[in-house]
Amino acid sequence: MTQRISKFKRFVMMNPIIQFFKFIFLSLKVLIIVAGGHGGTREVHK
Amino acid sequence: MSKIVILGAGISGHVAASHLRRKLDKTHEVIVVSPNSNYQWIPSNIWVGIGRMKSKEILFPLAPLYKKKGIGFKQAKVTSFYPEGDSETEKPFVVAEYVSAEKKGETERITYDYLINATGPKLNFEATEGLNPGTNKTYSVCTYTHADHANEGLQALIAEMKKGKEAKIVIGTGHAKATCQGAAFEYILNVEQELRRQKVRDKAKITWISNEYELGDFGMDGMLLSYGSNIMKSHEMVEMVFEDRNIDWILGAGVNKIENGLAHYETLTGEYKTIEYDFAMLIPSFSGHGFKAFDKDNNDITEKLFKGFMIVDADYAPKPYEDWTVQDWPETYQNPSYKNIFAPGIAFAPPHSISKPRKSPNGTDIFPSPPRTGMPSGITAKLVADNIIDSIKNNTESLHHKGSMGNMGAACIASAGFGMTKGSGVSITTFPIVPDYKKYPDTMGRKLGKTFGEIGLAGHWLKLMLHYAFIYKAKMKPFWYLIPE
Repeated sequence: MTQRISKFKRFVMMNPIIQFFKFIFLSLKVLIIVAGGHGGTREVHK
Repeated sequence: MSKIVILGAGISGHVAASHLRRKLDKTHEVIVVSPNSNYQWIPSNIWVGIGRMKSKEILFPLAPLYKKKGIGFKQAKVTSFYPEGDSETEKPFVVAEYVSAEKKGETERITYDYLINATGPKLNFEATEGLNPGTNKTYSVCTYTHADHANEGLQALIAEMKKGKEAKIVIGTGHAKATCQGAAFEYILNVEQELRRQKVRDKAKITWISNEYELGDFGMDGMLLSYGSNIMKSHEMVEMVFEDRNIDWILGAGVNKIENGLAHYETLTGEYKTIEYDFAMLIPSFSGHGFKAFDKDNNDITEKLFKGFMIVDADYAPKPYEDWTVQDWPETYQNPSYKNIFAPGIAFAPPHSISKPRKSPNGTDIFPSPPRTGMPSGITAKLVADNIIDSIKNNTESLHHKGSMGNMGAACIASAGFGMTKGSGVSITTFPIVPDYKKYPDTMGRKLGKTFGEIGLAGHWLKLMLHYAFIYKAKMKPFWYLIPE
């Protein structure tokens, strides 16, 4: 096993309070990307 | 008045049926034909496969819901397509064979004005000799019944490990051209965490085996992503996670034969090797269902509809990897020969893979097929439904709604362990799904910022929230349509 994630980083990853705010941030970011629309590609490059 | 027939009741078929029923008045018929009696939220199968969720939590019966909502339901499997009708039936139709107990074996001609083929993939276990879930110590998590079997196998192994057994666990892809690496990635991390939770992690050697050239390819040619304030490649991120969790990996491996506790594979360097295991979860290759199609004179026209999967508005002209563009990918999922037939989700034939094709010196193709999982399946099904709705309402063909995977974002919230305080998730979003190397030449074909990765407890909560949100949506509860695909 090679420790690739530092103790501080792991604390940030697993701390429920920090992660609660991360959860809000991630939810919004995912929503923006997912609901941000989609479309064709063929006309764009014409 | 129009009759819309939807083949399949997975994510794609169910999304299409839901939107069609909501937006069309009851004078129009919406009929779902599916051999499955239950709807299942497939992304949560990985939790069923480690025993942290019951299969009943990820499924519900379709018939009562469809009856309540005014959607016709036939529990049957389609065998052949007659897009021009025939000498007996003027309208186009499909032939379906019932699988429900009361009508088992009966066949019916189901006519349609519009047909949505959302039959998804056939899980092609037979393409790999000996790969049969529940046998040879090999399992799958592709369906909830497979996931239940996988959990039984895993728990039995854990019980032996508690008595001192040293175990070898292999998880990944079970064919040289398998896809869905994401599900296997989630499962290996969940199994690893489950072993830690049950205090037997030190007894297990866990190995990832995959047809990917690099870790983190996921059938999408890998990606460059924002990770905090850094920019890293997906293979670096996955490598970090695997090393940190003490998971070994074998890449460029085309598994071609399974024996009891032994997987045979060929590598991209042309070597033939084997790996032993006490428990394996290997994703099979996907294929089309082998449907046949006939014209009105009963001539075989299968090649006009199918190329393995269904032919749609993609550019299927063979060309080298360097010449691939996002314009090759379909936008409306309409069959070019029969304009009233559509194939969203996994049912459409992709123009080519997304990952770079690679061959072993022995001539074996070893690279992932393109993934088209949950989110793009839902989005493409909705846009197909919207185009049909517009066509019916305007009484003229409308293809206003478009959604190429080259101009569509996707979120992959990969579970890395279950638990409200001990859980973890690897959240990855990517835009676009198919890399556009012309538009984003310096960032491996993707838009940075919209392509990012995050690891942590929040990812688990997010995946759990999506589980409940999408089951709520699938049950068509109040305001379900406000939840995006």
